[in-house]
Amino acid sequence: MNRLVRDFVMNKYLYVMMIPVIAYYVVFHYAPMYGALIAFKDYSPMKGIWGSDWVGLKHFHDFFNSYYFWRILKNTIVISFYSLIFEFPAPIILALLINEVRNKAFKRAAQTITYMPYFISLVVICGIVTDFTNADGIINRLFVSLGYDGQAMLQKAHLFRPIYILSEIWQRIGWESIIYIAALMSVDIEQYEASRIDGASRLKQLFYITIPGIMPTIAIMLILRMGNLLNVGFEKIILLYNPATYETADVISSFVYRKGLLEFGWSYSSAVGLFNSVINLFLLVMANSISRRINNSSLW
Amino acid sequence: MKRFITGTLIIMMLGTLLIACSSKGENESKDEPSNSASSPAASTSVEGNDAAVYPMKTDKTLTYWGEMTGNIVGVKATHEEVPFFQDWQKKTGVKLKFTAPPAGQAKETLNVMLASGELPDMIEFNFLSEFPGGPEKAIGDGYILKLNDLIDKHAPNLKKFLQENPAIDKMVKTDNGSYYAFPFIRYDEYLRVFQGPIVRKDWLDELGLPVPETIDEWTTMLRAFKEKKGAAAPFAVNSKPRFFNDSYNGAIMGAFGVKRDFYQKDGSIKFGPAESGFKEYLRLFQTWYKEGLIDKNIATADGKAVDSNMASGATGATIGNAGGGIGKWQPLVEANDPKALLVAAPYPVLNKGDTPMFGQKDNAYSSGGIVAVTASSKDPELAVKLLDYGYSEEGRMFFNFGTEGVSYNMVDGYPKYTDLLMKNPDKLAPAQAMSLYVRGSYNGPFIQDKRYAEQFFARQTQRDAVDIWKKTDVAKYALPPLTPTPEESSEYATIMNDINTLVDEMTLKIILGSESIDKFESYVDKMKSLNLDRAIEIQSAALQRFNNR
Repeated sequence: MNRLVRDFVMNKYLYVMMIPVIAYYVVFHYAPMYGALIAFKDYSPMKGIWGSDWVGLKHFHDFFNSYYFWRILKNTIVISFYSLIFEFPAPIILALLINEVRNKAFKRAAQTITYMPYFISLVVICGIVTDFTNADGIINRLFVSLGYDGQAMLQKAHLFRPIYILSEIWQRIGWESIIYIAALMSVDIEQYEASRIDGASRLKQLFYITIPGIMPTIAIMLILRMGNLLNVGFEKIILLYNPATYETADVISSFVYRKGLLEFGWSYSSAVGLFNSVINLFLLVMANSISRRINNSSLW
Repeated sequence: MKRFITGTLIIMMLGTLLIACSSKGENESKDEPSNSASSPAASTSVEGNDAAVYPMKTDKTLTYWGEMTGNIVGVKATHEEVPFFQDWQKKTGVKLKFTAPPAGQAKETLNVMLASGELPDMIEFNFLSEFPGGPEKAIGDGYILKLNDLIDKHAPNLKKFLQENPAIDKMVKTDNGSYYAFPFIRYDEYLRVFQGPIVRKDWLDELGLPVPETIDEWTTMLRAFKEKKGAAAPFAVNSKPRFFNDSYNGAIMGAFGVKRDFYQKDGSIKFGPAESGFKEYLRLFQTWYKEGLIDKNIATADGKAVDSNMASGATGATIGNAGGGIGKWQPLVEANDPKALLVAAPYPVLNKGDTPMFGQKDNAYSSGGIVAVTASSKDPELAVKLLDYGYSEEGRMFFNFGTEGVSYNMVDGYPKYTDLLMKNPDKLAPAQAMSLYVRGSYNGPFIQDKRYAEQFFARQTQRDAVDIWKKTDVAKYALPPLTPTPEESSEYATIMNDINTLVDEMTLKIILGSESIDKFESYVDKMKSLNLDRAIEIQSAALQRFNNR
């Protein structure tokens, strides 16, 4: 206690400077957790959060027993998993490629062009995707000219995930590569020089110096990503799906959207959201501890 | 919760696209007709103890929440700018402050508003079919007021109208006899039918084909359109928000004795998609799709896609409204091909001479445009008096025709719209110009006048359309507006939400050919396991209660 007081007196300005940050977390991150209570109640705005009736785990029970539970859970996991496998490495590869380019002007141009799509609104992106994949859209015209049949691709359940993932990569690859490019800058130049004297080829340099050099960054990004594994955003899904593709496209968040916003099921959708967050937390902790054990880099 | 709020905000921001895909379809079917003058004149009797004299003398301002009609999206941004709403305040003497949700997102926005607990005085929203749980739940949860006493004391015009029309009165209230909103009444029969199949007559004439009456004739026609006229999407329909949105009233599939909804037959309630006729409909559409007779993008086609297919001559047959369909497309097709002519076709049947079982026909009370008074209103009496205006003789003229000398002139006792509406100097289409000055062309808290439709349907083909489409037996099979009890309704909503998802999935997968027609039975089994029987039970009980009202 005495130590704490002394510490406080000594660093009082530091503590004062911390107040806004703490306040931010309390006001915007911890206080709203109180609202999670409605997952266990039959929430009615007129009665308020506290005044609504308790129903215990009813909403969780309903969700786990719902007809579509397994399907949306599976779709959420599969889409996340695909994006982990295909989308996560893409910006790393792009960063490595850009790093190898010696022509400065080309390098800049490539970077700018690849991160441009990130700034386009998602609604517009989905409009473009829908147009391109139409029966007479540009992609199908290409196929037709190669002798295939044109078909409305967004009506095919098995094409939904590839379309989703590919457009995701296209939109985010440039933006996400920035952090890796920054990490690449910090790799020690002397190591390259030394390896060159030892006769390492460029490929060898890549595998033995560059990649290990940015490994901690990759690990951190991966852990952060794990924490969002079940967070497939509903915006893009609801803009692209239709009943013909529900089978592969309907995910937890789009289900919550339909329940919560269209059916006024506030409590039910909070319950689903809470479930989602708990799983995410679990995955995050797991990924962190695995990463700490395997390559000694972790968030905490 | 935090995520939920974030999500909500995001949805609101997503505006643009949602407007594009979801709003149109539903609004269109609502903003058609209108109503009769030749009616039980709700003469503004001043018999009531508290009849309002308009304009009323008050300095209070009331708040009003409601969606702007799709007709004037892009013309005016807010209610305040619309002459009708300015005049409404002047005529009634009550100042109003309007709030409007983004077009097509009324439900989501209302949801957020209700969750915030801060409500305006009046809400214009379809509490009957759009509010989860229905009107009794909205009253029970303390959002809106039960209006019985207020109407009794302060709304003499509506009260009188309902007393004179017990059949309508029965529809306007709930099983418990609660009034929950100021209704929109399509008084005349003529105003209740406004939608049906539309075909390119000029193509038919050129090909030597008759206007199709049977399913076989439809197939022949579509095939000819495709092969001889080069139509890329001979039959196209709007699929937003649900696949073949207008099939809820049994278009085309009515030939097989089903519609994509509940109906009554031989005294019991049936769910169309679970009946064998639905399988035949799927079989037909599957062959049509395979042959390329249906729009290839049918699963994702929205109203705009249909518009452009019609305009470019890719489509020769569709389902649409007399006003928002024929009225909108005729100039478009003409621009491309001066000979082009769109006409109404009857709802198809299997054997020539049969009367179609189903077709679009609204009840006299249709629940779009109804206005409820909220429980948090500071002056519900004033709100009720304001809303009662639309049922008075003077108010009905105002809602249907606007202000004399501006939007209409009395010619031999007949209110004739001025050129400001019909040939707008700013080049607005009549449907748009009308919606600026009157509510007759869409809906609202008043009694619609037939004389609106007579003028709005400017083309002979439009007027004929109503006569062709109204020849159905739908009155025998249709359900009145039912209200499940609040306890049942959330159960019902949950069941039907799952089932409708399944129905849409089944329909599309079979029609697009990714699953065989033989799968139909297994889908019906799935519907059963989702508790379809319970939903039918709830509907039957509600029908029973309705009949006992």
